[in-house]
Amino acid sequence: MLSRIGTWPITIRVAAATAGLMILLGLAASQQVLSTLGRLQDARLREYARLHVEGLAVALGPFVLRKDVWEVYDTLDRARANASGERILFTVVADEQGRVLAATDPRRAPVDSEVGAFAEDTVSMSEVTAASGDSVVRVMAPLSVQGRVVGHVVTELDISDLVAQRRNTALALLAGNAAATLILVLAGYVVMARMLRPVELLTRHMGEIGDTPLPIPEAAIPRPDTVLARLLRNFNDMAGAIDARTEAERRLAERERFVSLGRLSSSLAHEINNPLGGLLNATDTIRTYADRPDVVRQSTDLLDRGLRHLRDVSRAILEENRVDRSGHPLSTSDFEDLRLLFEPETTRRKQRLDWKIESSTDALQCLPSAPVRQIALNLLLNASSAAPEGGAVSLSIQEEKDGLLLAVSDDGPGLSETALARLMSEALVEPGGGVGLRLVRDLVAGLGGTVGCDRSEGRTVISVRLPPGEVLPC
Amino acid sequence: MNRRRFLSGASTCAAIGLPGLVRAGQTFRLGLTPVFLDNDAVVIERLRSAFSDAMGDPVDLIQRRTYQEITASILDGSVDAAWICGYPYLQHRDSLALLGVPVWRGQPLYQSYLIVGADDAATELEDLRGDVHAFSDPDSNSGYLVTASDLARIGETPERFFSRSVYTYGHRNVVRAVAGGLTRSGSVDGYVWETLASVEPSLTARSRIVTRSEWLGFPPFAAHADRASDADVQRFGAALRGLESSPAGRDALQLLFLDRIQEGDATLFDGIAARMADLSGR
Repeated sequence: MLSRIGTWPITIRVAAATAGLMILLGLAASQQVLSTLGRLQDARLREYARLHVEGLAVALGPFVLRKDVWEVYDTLDRARANASGERILFTVVADEQGRVLAATDPRRAPVDSEVGAFAEDTVSMSEVTAASGDSVVRVMAPLSVQGRVVGHVVTELDISDLVAQRRNTALALLAGNAAATLILVLAGYVVMARMLRPVELLTRHMGEIGDTPLPIPEAAIPRPDTVLARLLRNFNDMAGAIDARTEAERRLAERERFVSLGRLSSSLAHEINNPLGGLLNATDTIRTYADRPDVVRQSTDLLDRGLRHLRDVSRAILEENRVDRSGHPLSTSDFEDLRLLFEPETTRRKQRLDWKIESSTDALQCLPSAPVRQIALNLLLNASSAAPEGGAVSLSIQEEKDGLLLAVSDDGPGLSETALARLMSEALVEPGGGVGLRLVRDLVAGLGGTVGCDRSEGRTVISVRLPPGEVLPC
Repeated sequence: MNRRRFLSGASTCAAIGLPGLVRAGQTFRLGLTPVFLDNDAVVIERLRSAFSDAMGDPVDLIQRRTYQEITASILDGSVDAAWICGYPYLQHRDSLALLGVPVWRGQPLYQSYLIVGADDAATELEDLRGDVHAFSDPDSNSGYLVTASDLARIGETPERFFSRSVYTYGHRNVVRAVAGGLTRSGSVDGYVWETLASVEPSLTARSRIVTRSEWLGFPPFAAHADRASDADVQRFGAALRGLESSPAGRDALQLLFLDRIQEGDATLFDGIAARMADLSGR
């Protein structure tokens, strides 16, 4: 429930909090009013009871002393007939032994009966209260003449009016407080909704967790330069900064692609330069032995093979540099291109290259060509630079039940912590350190795949699992 | 002789021993026993002005709580005449002179009623044994003597027969005590009860008559025997007996629910005397 309250709009929550506080305030105030009313009523009641009993003591004292039944009755009866209001319901007067002398209703309390039956549930004059909720309260008081107790008076007071007054007051307070609370809650809601409009705006533009914050249009920002307006402007600045950073990261990743090729450039230059010597020799041979058709044919074949190799190499380089390759499906020829580009690097460093492509074009074409080539190339370049001179580097492509497994291994010293962080975690990292590992991570994540790093028996294996992509129809 | 009667006799002696008490001007002072309507100041005032008009002199009405106080007032001269009960009249017959006896419903007689609450099942005096009883006044014929002498005839006293006797000092109070439930039964003047039945029916409706006594002499107007021949007493007596001939007098009689006031005759009170004899002979 509490977590659900946490998702309520802030204006509703503020209104609810206002209501809660109002109810608490209402309860406290009502309690105060009722307790004050109760005190006033009780004081009034006690004063009334005291005057009544004192009046009876003055009027009845001598008669009670003489045990004059008639005079006691006559006084009570006349007092009852003359009483304004009906507060006194019943009065019984007894002598000091507790025998009834007379009562306003002698049938209820016959002469000479015991007053004890009426002494039950009585309170003393100082304890009279209307708080019990009973409509009748019974008071017992001694009857004194010249400081001597000569009898007892038990009086029943009708306090139903006071009880009703208390109940009506409580109901009025309840209704009043409810109305006041309702009005204030509605007013509070309206005021809060107005005051918190910028906050709502901010919440909307902040988006869900992980979403990119959207800047708030300048027109929506409240004109007066309030704290909230400053807050919104600061938010816009922050959103702009985040955008700028994302753009910077994107450009950095873009550049990393060219860094990979840059790393290959010297090897590729050798790859082009080496056949050139043989090709020039072939042209010399043709010039020298132009009259020998067998030699010319042999040299022409040599020229053809060399030029075809150069064509393949340049095509691979061009392919790698093509800006828009997103539409092309992956195929085994992509890996042949990769080998063409990468093998000279291992040759240069006298490294052994294991190249195992155990997958058909059918299985590969579910994946886009460009990101997979980039992933493989970046991992191979890292492996090659990690492996020592004369070491070993391998690439294996395997079909798995739920996608493709691409594994690159080397016998280097393993990845540094920084390099691992770039490859595995989402934490922001400084550029540099490991060629394009962050790009690998981003590309794998973009394809919905996972990266794993394992080191055993002196070999580092980085495995990339790619599910069948949804990008291209299989 | 009980204590009260002894005191009453003693005051009589004191009154005889102190003749010629100071009187205030020509105002005639009439003592009233709390026979009835003692709670209504307006009636008392109208009665006073009616008596004054009839007599030609201002009349002061003097009320006391008990019969004994009024009787003593006649005897000691602090009132010129009084409306008393037949019982105290007989107690002090030698010192008192009759000025007149009211005629009620055609005769100078009335009854004593034994009453209970309206919902009480009692049918005779015996049914009330062991309960609380209201008497009007220990010197009242209808409010004490009748019931006390009835009990004496069966060998009982009020103290033994009733669990408690309450003196209310007023016939209306007896009806109030019974109607309100303070006492189970009461002895009351029949004339008062009947009058109350017409002026305050809500009160008498809450009581019920169990037994009525025989007809007895109506409470008379009396003066001290020594002053019976005084001019103002004579004039007052004549005015009383001639009330029905003047409008003011008829007003007074109407207020009291009486026909007229006639010449007194001591033999009217023989029934009361017989009951007194029964009471003292027990």
